Amino acid sequence: MSRLYGWIVATLLVAVTVSGVQVAFSSQKVRQLHADLQAAQRVQDEELAEHSRLLLERSAQTSYVNVERVAEAELGMIFPDRVEPIEP
Amino acid sequence: MKGWRHYTLVGGFALGCVAVIVRLGYLNWTEREFLQEQGDARSVRSEVLPAYRGVVYDRHGEPLAVSTPVFAVWLDPSRAGLTDESLGALAELLELDPARLSASVQSNGHREFLYLKRRVPWDRAQAVRELGISGVHLQSEYRRYYPASETTSHVVGTTGIEDSGLEGIELSFDGRLRGEHGRKIVLKDQRGETIKDLDYVASPKFGDDLNLSLDLRLQFLAYRELKSAVVGHRATSGSLVMLDARSGEILALVNQPSYNPNELGSVEVGNMRNRAVTDVYEPGSTVKPFTVLAALESGRFAADTVIDTGPGYFRVGGKLVQDPVNRGAITVGEALQVSSQVGIAKIALDLEERAVYDVLSRAGVGEPVNTGLPGEAWASLDDAGLSSLVGRATLAYGYGLAISPLQLAQAYLTLATGGVRVPVSIVKQEVVRPGTRVFDADMIADVVGMMEGVTDNDGTAPKARVVGYRVAGKTGTARKVGASGYDDERHVALFAGIAPVSDPRLVIVVVVNEPKGDARGGGSVAAPVFGRVAARSMRLLGVRPDGESA
Repeated sequence: MSRLYGWIVATLLVAVTVSGVQVAFSSQKVRQLHADLQAAQRVQDEELAEHSRLLLERSAQTSYVNVERVAEAELGMIFPDRVEPIEP
Repeated sequence: MKGWRHYTLVGGFALGCVAVIVRLGYLNWTEREFLQEQGDARSVRSEVLPAYRGVVYDRHGEPLAVSTPVFAVWLDPSRAGLTDESLGALAELLELDPARLSASVQSNGHREFLYLKRRVPWDRAQAVRELGISGVHLQSEYRRYYPASETTSHVVGTTGIEDSGLEGIELSFDGRLRGEHGRKIVLKDQRGETIKDLDYVASPKFGDDLNLSLDLRLQFLAYRELKSAVVGHRATSGSLVMLDARSGEILALVNQPSYNPNELGSVEVGNMRNRAVTDVYEPGSTVKPFTVLAALESGRFAADTVIDTGPGYFRVGGKLVQDPVNRGAITVGEALQVSSQVGIAKIALDLEERAVYDVLSRAGVGEPVNTGLPGEAWASLDDAGLSSLVGRATLAYGYGLAISPLQLAQAYLTLATGGVRVPVSIVKQEVVRPGTRVFDADMIADVVGMMEGVTDNDGTAPKARVVGYRVAGKTGTARKVGASGYDDERHVALFAGIAPVSDPRLVIVVVVNEPKGDARGGGSVAAPVFGRVAARSMRLLGVRPDGESA
């Protein structure tokens, strides 16, 4: 009888130890994942900020006003006052 | 003796333990909810994870409204550890007045939440974080930028500080652009710092992007030309609408005066009105092509049917209808070309009672355009006046009805499509939506042919001409209604046109409200804007020239 009790107690002790270690592992993992998530969110925010900055910059560069200015002032192009169709 | 001491001590401990357990059990059993709430209220917080609002693009992918991550800097005054030095540094970074900041912190000392500044850019917020002042927190949010600024502000609209749409497309497509905010539950320590994320209730869902039908290049040049006309003629306001004649998409829609949506602080409310959509005008002579169309449909008139307009005036009921000069006998085509009130009124009175009204209805006048732009005006076209001769005559030359520039463009679209009504849209269409035929194609070709004469030297709008292309259109000069009937001093100058005639690509409506100075008519104020905008637009779109080069 006392032998059986001994076994039960031993098994429970092992189970308690294992689950305790598991708890420690999983909370460590939660912390780790949380840190990863926050890092990923920060990267996402940075990328979004960069993306919108680049979008705005591209739109400034390609704006009609800018293209017209570059064409006329830098490339010496003119807006023609006559039409000359070129047949292929 | 020793045994007695031992048992007393153990018994005491056991009693103490039992007392603690009983108390715990009691609290757990009877006060559990109250205590848990109180505990959570001190340490558990729900935080919003803002969703990234969708980008609004033009038809070629140029951004018109872009969100960028920024931060709201807030303070928990009850837990703030602010020294004079850190307050000074904080005020400098946030560009706030240190004295006012200090006063505000003190007067809100009992609160737990106080916004110091919103929409703080990324780099500046990081500098605030590095100050490491306890009680100062950052909350991520987004700021909306409008790169095309005042050029597209009436169409795109604006958002409020909470990132929800207030005007324009931002308002009408808010549900689609907004996305869904996420939420997480966090555990905070005594100083208000987040120590642990307990639960992600929902991750934020990004809003959808939206491609408008606008072509930013055309929008830019339409805006520039309209602005220069409104300023040059000292007009109170103006609008221009450009439609794609094949798909019914709105390529450009601009108004003057406009506003900068990036700096809403000093904007006059009136400038925010999308006049092309919300304001109605009597269209004046721009409806005459539809009267002529009704005449052709009756079978009693052709382009070369002669009408006697002599002596240049006649009476209908009690009303005098007159031309500036006696034009004598002219054809229907010439009546349209020179915009003869007498000629057009005589044609209309010879038709069935509802003929002109029916043509206008089929063209869509009097029906909402349903683009989804907020505040769209209801056109007024009613048939109550048709029983009187005066009512029919005035309708024929564009009085007694009121429509917005967008609705006028919708009506002219049926002329440009050869008689097919195509739905007008502000969102880019991947496939052309089928229309319904409302007019006979040959009759439309005749009417458009006559409208081409309007831009001849003999017509009312030679200034609408475009080198290398054939264009058709009609001028309008409507008197505005003042306190005592029609005002002879205040006019609306209109031009509605189609280009190029051989294979229409563009429908453009120009409205200039109350121009001052010598030139006030549609032919001298609105037609030149049409000419310049059409010329540049067709080159940008690569439309093949169909006219003579000059």
